[in-house]
Amino acid sequence: MSFNVLIVDDSRSMRAVIKKTISMSGFKMDQCLEAGNGREALDILVKAWVDVIISDINMPEMNGLEFLEELKKDSLLKAIPAIVISTEGSEKRIQDAYDLGARGFIKKPFLPEEIKKVLYEVIGVSDEGKYEEDKENDDAFDF
Amino acid sequence: MTLSISEVFEKMFYIFLEPLDIRYDEYDMEAAISFEGTISGDVRILFSREIVMAMVQNMLGLEGDGITGQDMEDCSKEAVNMVCGNFLSRLDSTKVFNLSSPSFKEPGDLESGEDICRMDFDSDYGKIGVMVGFSLTQMRGSQP
Repeated sequence: MSFNVLIVDDSRSMRAVIKKTISMSGFKMDQCLEAGNGREALDILVKAWVDVIISDINMPEMNGLEFLEELKKDSLLKAIPAIVISTEGSEKRIQDAYDLGARGFIKKPFLPEEIKKVLYEVIGVSDEGKYEEDKENDDAFDF
Repeated sequence: MTLSISEVFEKMFYIFLEPLDIRYDEYDMEAAISFEGTISGDVRILFSREIVMAMVQNMLGLEGDGITGQDMEDCSKEAVNMVCGNFLSRLDSTKVFNLSSPSFKEPGDLESGEDICRMDFDSDYGKIGVMVGFSLTQMRGSQP
């Protein structure tokens, strides 16, 4: 099973690095969509199916926290797991992101393993690409 | 600050830095960012062209001919953004700091004063200098 990922960051280089890092991590990525800010991301979400969102905080036009707020208002979009990836390290900003619906937080600079771990955690899938509930069922038949 | 610089350059650019004992002034470009909060100031990173080329190669996987000026600017700005964010969260993770958008230009004034901390580093790929300035007026006026 592979997943569509939306990367939201105003830096083209950082989007490329996140994409490369996800590929290197072994995470099963299908389509990788990119947006330069929250507004562009919302436009993409109208047209494309996304399994997980990775968003920066500090961006022009619509920042990451405003973007999370918009997701939270929409009954369909709020179901998409969102991960915040930022240089921001203050406890308050991290809590603000979680309060607005973020399911994970990755601090820049990051390692490929950190991205992979958080990605699998937020979409409830094991490293082998199985949903956690399937894994439990598999374990039940493990004699 | 040294820890923040090392962490960013090792994790994101695979570049290992060694502090320089002597001052170096022959830098080719500069990325800067300012921050505001209970203390305010700015962080400037000065780069030799060679180290920025290596940063782009290592971060984006691009080779020499494929590297554009925009790639070099983007990587330099990301570096100063990450170093500043990392430094501020180490300084006090309970406080919120607002960071400006990073800027990129030719190196400006390299003189350091009593309110500016200056460090230079060497690597296998080239040199960087880091200048951190604090706004003393706001520090004195800030809440404890």
